[in-house]
Amino acid sequence: MTATLNVGNTRLADPTGPSSAAARRKTLVSRIVVHICIIIGVILSLFPFYWLLTMSTHTTAEIFGYPPKLGFGSTFLENVKAVITDVDLFKALLNTFLISAAVAILVMFFDSLAAYSFAKYEFPAKNVLFTVLMATFLVPGSLSLVPSFVLMSWLGWIGNFAALIVPGAANAFGIFLLRQFAQSSIPNELIESARVDGAGFFRTWWSIGVPMMRGGVAFLGIFTFIGTWNDYVWPLIVLVNPGQQTLQTALATLNSIYSTNYGEVMAGAVISVVPLIGIFIIGSRHFIANIAAGAIKG
Amino acid sequence: MARITRRSLLAGAAGLGALAAAGGLSACGSQTSISSDPKELVLWYWNRSADPKLLAEAAKEIPGSDGYHLRADVLGGTWDTKLRTSLAGNAYIPDLTFINSNVSLYFPNENMFLDLNDLGAQDYKDEYFDWKWQLGVTPTNRFCFFPLDTGPTGFYYRADVVKKAGLDPDPESVGEAIKTWDDYVEFGSKLKKNAGSFIEITANTIFGQYINASPERYFNKAGKPLYMEPSNAIKDAWNVAVKAIKAGVTGNQQNSTDQNAAWTSGKTMGHIEAVWWAQILADTAPDSKGKWRLASQPVRAGNSGGSFVCLPHTCKDPEAGFKFITWLNNAKNQATSFNDVQLFPSAIKSFELGTMKSSTGFFGNQDPLSFFNKAAQQVPTSFISTYETQAAYFSTEITNVEAGKNPDQAWDDAVNQTNKVLRKQGVEV
Amino acid sequence: MSTTEQVAAPVQAGGDTGPTRRTGNRLKKFWPQYVAVAPFYILFLVFGAFPLVFSIYLSFTQWDGMGPQKFVGLAQYRYLITDGRFWNAVENTFIIWFMSTVPMLILALIIAFLLHQNIRFKGFYRVAFFIPNVTSMVAMAIVFGSVFSDSFGLINSAITALGGKEFGWLSDPWGIKITIAVMVIWRWTGYNAILYLAGLQSIPTELYESARVDGASMFSIFTRITVPMLRPVILFTVITSTIGGLSLFTEPQVLLGNDGGTGEAGMTIVLYQYNQAFTQFDFGYGAAIAWALFIIAVIFAIINWRLVSERDTTKPKKSRRNTPAAPTSPEASR
Repeated sequence: MTATLNVGNTRLADPTGPSSAAARRKTLVSRIVVHICIIIGVILSLFPFYWLLTMSTHTTAEIFGYPPKLGFGSTFLENVKAVITDVDLFKALLNTFLISAAVAILVMFFDSLAAYSFAKYEFPAKNVLFTVLMATFLVPGSLSLVPSFVLMSWLGWIGNFAALIVPGAANAFGIFLLRQFAQSSIPNELIESARVDGAGFFRTWWSIGVPMMRGGVAFLGIFTFIGTWNDYVWPLIVLVNPGQQTLQTALATLNSIYSTNYGEVMAGAVISVVPLIGIFIIGSRHFIANIAAGAIKG
Repeated sequence: MARITRRSLLAGAAGLGALAAAGGLSACGSQTSISSDPKELVLWYWNRSADPKLLAEAAKEIPGSDGYHLRADVLGGTWDTKLRTSLAGNAYIPDLTFINSNVSLYFPNENMFLDLNDLGAQDYKDEYFDWKWQLGVTPTNRFCFFPLDTGPTGFYYRADVVKKAGLDPDPESVGEAIKTWDDYVEFGSKLKKNAGSFIEITANTIFGQYINASPERYFNKAGKPLYMEPSNAIKDAWNVAVKAIKAGVTGNQQNSTDQNAAWTSGKTMGHIEAVWWAQILADTAPDSKGKWRLASQPVRAGNSGGSFVCLPHTCKDPEAGFKFITWLNNAKNQATSFNDVQLFPSAIKSFELGTMKSSTGFFGNQDPLSFFNKAAQQVPTSFISTYETQAAYFSTEITNVEAGKNPDQAWDDAVNQTNKVLRKQGVEV
Repeated sequence: MSTTEQVAAPVQAGGDTGPTRRTGNRLKKFWPQYVAVAPFYILFLVFGAFPLVFSIYLSFTQWDGMGPQKFVGLAQYRYLITDGRFWNAVENTFIIWFMSTVPMLILALIIAFLLHQNIRFKGFYRVAFFIPNVTSMVAMAIVFGSVFSDSFGLINSAITALGGKEFGWLSDPWGIKITIAVMVIWRWTGYNAILYLAGLQSIPTELYESARVDGASMFSIFTRITVPMLRPVILFTVITSTIGGLSLFTEPQVLLGNDGGTGEAGMTIVLYQYNQAFTQFDFGYGAAIAWALFIIAVIFAIINWRLVSERDTTKPKKSRRNTPAAPTSPEASR
């Protein structure tokens, strides 16, 4: 895995030369600059979220008051209690978690298989198939509500979580994503040597492909989870039984046509977001692992 | 390469398409029911649109029905989509459903709903405000949508700002001062000059509320556009709004943050809206308690909002369903609903029972209940056509005028755009 | 980095180099690949094809979503071509796309590069940049409304406090576009940065080390190592951001409602489609808009793909079975 660099290839073994003091100063300055840039970005990113947190601790009046209150209020527990009372929160959380996890796992599995195939193998009609896949990527979505509903009705899946899990179990977005990752991170030599050792397609996918695509797979899993977690319209259409709500459909019932308790709504939004942050933190460990070239086991 | 792919894809899909078109869209075979319990009627409603106590009672048994009980499913804010999808797919349709004030949207498909006259609705007609009752009558004179709550309107205003402008803040005299729409704009100018305050957040509000209080609207029952007649209510509403814009009395606060801040700070001192806005105001601006009053708006009160209940054609037992509807909306229960969830009654006798508790304090010593009761009696009977959705472009254009567009140009654009869309829908204009 | 797949020695299961093309043999040889890619196509055929065909059919009808569908031939498309509001939406979409996608991707790349350095609190920064993507819409509507409102928003209050004149962020045609672009950048930069970060993990650290030891500046490391290595992932983000930008919907709806704001300055194509289908109950027209967008999107995707892949063909390749005369499909681009 080499690439030609226009920077020289010679290595200086000893870094403590006469120019190193200047080099160290340069590094320190650049590190400070880096930190400052990042911190500005962080503040801008977090500010609206911080505001959401403060809104969940306020009453409706405080939220809409002018000037806006940016400190923390004292109504958080009350708001949370209101959410728990008005909505079957724990059941909704559980349902949503199961559905999101199921979709994420299926997507990671099916998409990585397909992406690995497209990226690393040649087979007849491959280009045609991939072009079709890209075409479906561009196809418009929201108008398909009624025919999809009818389809689910025919299958008897209305009121069944299968309607929320199965259709999205493999998607063009993920396959395209992982194919790009596979292209850039899996060396052909590894696959060759594994094949010579007698490993078949699926074995090389599992022991070489997936680990080397790990960053992409983790990313796909996390954001598929999030996307399913936040989906509102499709669960709204498909679920009809009481007590069978997802988090978003449950929280949506807090909105009344006339007067809504926004403190409660914001508390609900916070409750909805916290597990996602947890999933991200857990999943992003896989971005960190540094895959050193050539050091692959098995 | 891509061309071939798409062609072959389309070819294969065309077969499917033929099937789909031929088979029609409704689910083949039996229509799937939303509830497996034969004695259970399912109602779709949204939060705070019905009294939970009454729903609980009906969950045990619907009074007067033959052992039926109610299962009330609460759904999120706008579930028009869900209802329409179910109706289109002919599956999992509720036995009863509430409909918001946009009931005329369902007129083209009125056959999806039962005519309540067949169940004896005429016997109840006199119990409700006639103008509200008429809103539930379709263009073919089928009565499908039974009255729930109403939204009679009035002029909310900040009495302290009126006083600051050197004018009499008493509701009677304010009502007198804005007896006509020209007087209203005049009043706004005085407020602007002396207190630096706007009389309304947007010109669009004035435009819309004028129409809400008018017996004539965009179309007549036959579907003929009225806004092109030599003299018509829409043009009058438009002219009033333009007059207000030119006088500079509207705040051009198009965004809810600006609106709330304006009302709280007094930069905008008034709003013409329905009775249910009082609750929103109390929730979002409790500090202004005691500063607001209600005065009768120009000419007469109108109606903004208010909902209905109806029976989709797949209702398991229409008679039981109708029993629930009439029970939920009898005078006594509507009064209870007002006390519990602030739903303003459509039943005339509710106000005479003496059980409705009025909440004073927010409007000083003025009683909003009696104010809006009086307003409810003034609302004119009018016809809201299903095509008013397409005529929404008038609102867009008046907002553009407020942003600086030439009013005559805007009017012509609104008319042309509306007519263009109507022609596409097959309406003769 | 990985070399091209079309090396002289084939990397295929079964490794048959002969030119014999008997179909039965081929399918049998490649069955693992077909099995691997099949799930998507099966799911699409079952769940995607019918709605897709239906929406094509819809674009030739007049339908309000509930009643019978009336076949009208090309009437919807004819209307679309002369519909000023549609072309206004197209213009808006492109302008906003350009204003938001280009800065966003550059910013995301820089942030990913910075986060990849050996700095402290990386985990916290990662979470911080990720959060905008999951903040709820309701909250964002209120927050952005409060920040950008004409009279009482934070920004205008700051401007007037400093003596300037308040600017119509949510009412001026350009103000609206800028605000939407800002919201898009805010929401999606972190997402793309994390995607790049995931991609950066597979670049071997020795490259960086040797370059740094040679005294290469951060800038030249960035341009000479990082960007070229990330090209496939960058291609992905360019394509998906283009498609996302062309289908921009959530941000303008959250900020301005279903009308696209004053003068429809914030009306994007998909928002117009939604407006027509779900507030005007004209599903036939909504479908026509959707398919017009598809055509536009395809054209753009192809342009983007060519633009980003094309540059690769100018770099020297190790070996190729066929030497293409012109840039070809993506498989040959690496």
